[in-house]
Amino acid sequence: MSQFEPKIVAFVCNWCTYAGADLAGTSRAKYATNVRIIRFPCTGRIDFMLLMKAFQNGSDGIIISGCHPNDCHYTSGNFHARRRWMVFRSLIEFMGFDTERITFSWVSAAEGAKWADLVNEVTTKVRELGPFTEFKNLDYNSFNQLDNGAITK
Amino acid sequence: MEQLQNKVAELFEKGTISLMIGFQDGMSKGAVPCFVESVEQVKLLIYNSYCKNNLAVYLHKPEVKQAKKVGIFGNVATLRSILQLLSENQFWNIELTVMTINANQEFILFESIAEVEKYVQANFPQLTDEEKELIEKINTMSRQERWEYWKDLFSTCIKCYACRAVCPMCYCPQCTVESNQPQWIKVSAQTSGNMEWHTMRAMHLAGRCINCGECGRICPVGIPVHLLTAKMNLDLSKEFGSKTGYSASNGYALNSFNPNDKEGFIR
Amino acid sequence: METKLLQSSDIPKLFDNLIKSGKVIIAPITKKSGKVFFERISSYDQVEKDYIQTQFSAKSVVFPKVEELFTYKKTDTGIEITDTLSQIPEVVVWGLRPCDSSAFDYISEFFLKENPDAYFARRKELLTLITISCPKADDACFCTSVELNPGSTAGSDILLTQMGNEYYAEIITEKGKAVVESSSDLFTATEPKTKDEFLAKITYQFSLEEIKERIKTAYDNAQWKHESMGCYGCGACAFACPTCTCFDIQDESDGDEGSRKRCWDACGLSLFTKHNSGHNPRKNQTERRRQRLMHKFKYSVENLGIVSCVGCGRCIRVCPAHLNIFENILNVTKE
Repeated sequence: MSQFEPKIVAFVCNWCTYAGADLAGTSRAKYATNVRIIRFPCTGRIDFMLLMKAFQNGSDGIIISGCHPNDCHYTSGNFHARRRWMVFRSLIEFMGFDTERITFSWVSAAEGAKWADLVNEVTTKVRELGPFTEFKNLDYNSFNQLDNGAITK
Repeated sequence: MEQLQNKVAELFEKGTISLMIGFQDGMSKGAVPCFVESVEQVKLLIYNSYCKNNLAVYLHKPEVKQAKKVGIFGNVATLRSILQLLSENQFWNIELTVMTINANQEFILFESIAEVEKYVQANFPQLTDEEKELIEKINTMSRQERWEYWKDLFSTCIKCYACRAVCPMCYCPQCTVESNQPQWIKVSAQTSGNMEWHTMRAMHLAGRCINCGECGRICPVGIPVHLLTAKMNLDLSKEFGSKTGYSASNGYALNSFNPNDKEGFIR
Repeated sequence: METKLLQSSDIPKLFDNLIKSGKVIIAPITKKSGKVFFERISSYDQVEKDYIQTQFSAKSVVFPKVEELFTYKKTDTGIEITDTLSQIPEVVVWGLRPCDSSAFDYISEFFLKENPDAYFARRKELLTLITISCPKADDACFCTSVELNPGSTAGSDILLTQMGNEYYAEIITEKGKAVVESSSDLFTATEPKTKDEFLAKITYQFSLEEIKERIKTAYDNAQWKHESMGCYGCGACAFACPTCTCFDIQDESDGDEGSRKRCWDACGLSLFTKHNSGHNPRKNQTERRRQRLMHKFKYSVENLGIVSCVGCGRCIRVCPAHLNIFENILNVTKE
């Protein structure tokens, strides 16, 4: 039986984390292949709706990563992002979301090793948590039927 | 009530206002928002314990904006909405005259926005005990229980958008949910789409909601959606000291930052 | 029409028989919020016995809030389409009111008259309506003004009226007869009885004939603005209404799979008539609310021959601004 391989989406900023991931590549660091990277100019651009979209489209875990505070290429983008993440995380925790599936980090352009470690850690964690069936099954009731107000056999 | 009617009639006669937003008698257990445009109609205005609606939302109506000189009457929640909207520059083309009735049933006509600020700050409301209790109850549930609790509630949501329609802060000409390129939130009223909608609404209101509780009160299926924004405001005021509806020059917690913001979850 | 008696103490047994028949049973239950809704139930204990009206109508059994019309899946050999028509089960709705059952007559006209809707037709075919007449009403009820009454049999398969310790059953259709036959030991024959003393007294608000006549010239009445300014423009009234049938078709896809869904829509929402160009023929809330009321009392008469308001009062109860449909109609048709 094949092991469950989680699908992980990473939202990263172009200047730090993306460069850090690139460094991990050129250093031939070995790390899990479950991550799909989406490049943004800055973490400040990351809208929480995109995170919801990722789960909607079937991802099991999310990584969001950017420049360290005070090192943002656009000076303050990551400060705004940090506030937004605090608020978003508190909201989804209140709604019962498994916040273990979302990992935030600061990874700079020189931290290729940290990126590799991060991905490995998150992949192991999400693999243990299993597929995010809770979200996929939101629309199904206890009779295993699509619960949208229509009555079916 | 007579005081209210007399004062408003005076304001019409002086030309200070050309439109008055208040309440009129509705059926039992409800007062209907009333829009008075002449001295003759002033006698329709009432005030009683059924006057709960937050009337600030009507200030966004194009017909009201056209009137230019608008009088509005409301409770502390309405006043706070007005202050918050002023701090978001929403009424630059209306001359507002604000009125209220205080806890001693005394009618107050505010001469300036500064007076409104003083009144609001002196009577700054807290969450009701009921709301605090329910938030506590949800906080102490396990993650699984919380998920089931909200899933249960959201499966009954019909996406009528009444919560959005009554909110004074929801004034976007095109709501995110109405865009279809791309389609951020499903149109159909399924649980997953409903959860997305309510998350999105709470996030867009974070730091702006003044906790009038209207959204939860009028929800036709009885989902306490006001708890989501109430919880957000509790967190925001704890972490960033944000106070909504406090003055006409409030900041917005999410478009400002402090380099020393502390969190414990970023690796 | 046959008439029978059913002892109140036998109602749980009748219920059990219905559940054992394998059909899906929908009945009113009280939710956490204190409001009463129609939901699928598995035992009689769950049923709410003492209520005036449910928050939402029972139209979702034939016109669900989200109905998956078909699903598709792209495979190596082509596209597989699964129609959901075959998944529609037999349903019994218990405990709706006479206004609700007569609303089914209207929506059947709407969906079946010219281009019969296959999904609606199938759901209606497999539906049995057991109506309970109203012993109580509140001030939002106005069925008598739209030529109905709390003991009307229109649209029902069986109408039950509580008379002391027993229920008087009027068996109107073949489906009603089938229900009685499957529990024949619980029903005893009786002469027809008068129900009036067991029915609620509903305040008469207006004469429907007069309103239908006066509304023909009410379109340009300046009073519409005053009656509609409080309207927030949400969809609550349309979604709660047993005769509102407007819908939207949404195609939802997820990679290689997807579905086409029909979902509720409301003419009160500003996007309802907005064109791609940005032009909106009903550009303000007054025009949208006017459209809703005119549709109920004029346009549906012109299109289908019947008024589409059944006087259930749900729109009044759910409206966040407490707008009152019969007061509004009276005010815009005053001489």
